[in-house]
Amino acid sequence: MKNKLIDRLQILSISLIWLLFTGIAVWILNLIKESLRLHDSPDASLGISLVAIPVFFTLSSVLTYVFIGLRKGRRKDVEH
Amino acid sequence: MEKAPAAPNPDYDLLRPIEDPGKSFYYIVAVLLVIILYTGYVYIRQLYYGLGVTGMAQPVTWGFYIINFVFFIGISHAGTLISAILRLSKAEWRRPITRMAEVITAIVLAIGGLHPIIDLGRPDRMTHLFFNGRLQSPLLWDITSITAYFTASTVYLYIPMIPDIAILRDRGVKPRWLYEFLSWGWQGTAQQHKVLDRAMNVLMVVVIPIAISVHTIISYIFAMTVQPGWHSTIFGPYFVVGAIFSGIAAILVLMIVFRKVFRLERYLKLIHFNYLSVLLLIMSLLWFYFTFSEYLTGYYGHEPNEMRVFWYKFSGAFAPYFWTMVTCNFLLPLILLSNRKTRTIPGILIASISVIIGMWLERLIIVVPSLANPRLPYPTGIYIPSSTEWTLFIGGVSVFILGYMMFARFFPVISIWEIQEGRQESTKAVTERITSYMPDPQPPLAKE
Repeated sequence: MKNKLIDRLQILSISLIWLLFTGIAVWILNLIKESLRLHDSPDASLGISLVAIPVFFTLSSVLTYVFIGLRKGRRKDVEH
Repeated sequence: MEKAPAAPNPDYDLLRPIEDPGKSFYYIVAVLLVIILYTGYVYIRQLYYGLGVTGMAQPVTWGFYIINFVFFIGISHAGTLISAILRLSKAEWRRPITRMAEVITAIVLAIGGLHPIIDLGRPDRMTHLFFNGRLQSPLLWDITSITAYFTASTVYLYIPMIPDIAILRDRGVKPRWLYEFLSWGWQGTAQQHKVLDRAMNVLMVVVIPIAISVHTIISYIFAMTVQPGWHSTIFGPYFVVGAIFSGIAAILVLMIVFRKVFRLERYLKLIHFNYLSVLLLIMSLLWFYFTFSEYLTGYYGHEPNEMRVFWYKFSGAFAPYFWTMVTCNFLLPLILLSNRKTRTIPGILIASISVIIGMWLERLIIVVPSLANPRLPYPTGIYIPSSTEWTLFIGGVSVFILGYMMFARFFPVISIWEIQEGRQESTKAVTERITSYMPDPQPPLAKE
């Protein structure tokens, strides 16, 4: 029961990481949309988004890789 | 499943603060909590009465909060950046230092990042950024880069901590569920080590440009304006150098404190202090070079508005702060750290504290004089911080100390598994590395 709860919490934490990434990406894309609508130097907004979105994507991917990799890399015969 | 009692760990000294924190830990936490609660009350009072309770007024509309913002974010460069550089360059002496440094980054970034919000009379208006922000503004670049740095630093702190969390889990340390949750089933298999190594390699490369970008962008808040004393092309690297400089000083102070309090002399040896203090000395020289270049260019141009700010700092109202800054950041470290006889633990402690004070003064000298001497024909402004600002500053420092103590209460501040790995593998790895870049012996001549 306790192990199942911890498993669920771990899966939830991976989802939260991607929620953070999605939130930031949506926020930046919304600001680009606004700058295009108002003709307010959209090139600067595009420049920032080109850097920021991949950075957060990389961080989320690395964490997901670690979490999934560690679970897969466990010995089958030992249980924590 | 109940576990058998864990075998005694050869590095028990590193687990003692977690398993047996002692009464003094709780006393200090209580004192810090009182200070933080009072700080909370003072902040709520500021919210109620507005920024009139601070010393800020026209034309000096940025004061302690922005100074502390730049200062705290600067200190954050202690951790992740220095740790990543040491890891990338495979400096073996890094092992007992990296985590202590990385923790500084995570805590200080959270504190520093809150300061611009404290600086707002109406913090609720921060929400406007989400819907109506302008990505053309350096302030928004700041928010993006600080968020990225905070995320990267926390990930970079957490991932190499997983094997140590598993040690705590296996020893049955409470709260067990926390260690089970955070250890992700770590068993130290070859596959798990491979995953950890790969992730760390990616993070080391990603984190360095992010860290450099953070302080460069903070400098842009000033440099992108045409205010005298701020509009400078070298502000980016100048801020980065200053940040690393103050960061190293902060690590040294913490290392000395932890060594003394937790009796970690076996881990934090004189050689570690020697290497880091030489790095501090190099940064002091670099800082002086940048400061000299910055002011010489301004002086040589002799532009009237620029010169008003220049003389305000050199011989005017801010001269005591300016020359104290030069003494703290350059003269004292140079005298103490360039001489082997004074490059001792007390000498390094004095130099490091002096650098922390000097770097705070540097932020003060950058922020206030340019605002006090505006380009427009207004009289020179006055800024005297109020008790509210002082309290919030002390509160910020208390949050940092409390955060660090709480971290040390639940997790080892020195990486146990990296120390053990170093003992087992470093000698072989270093020998192989040295052999790989040493010239091959000359082949015997044909005659011989």
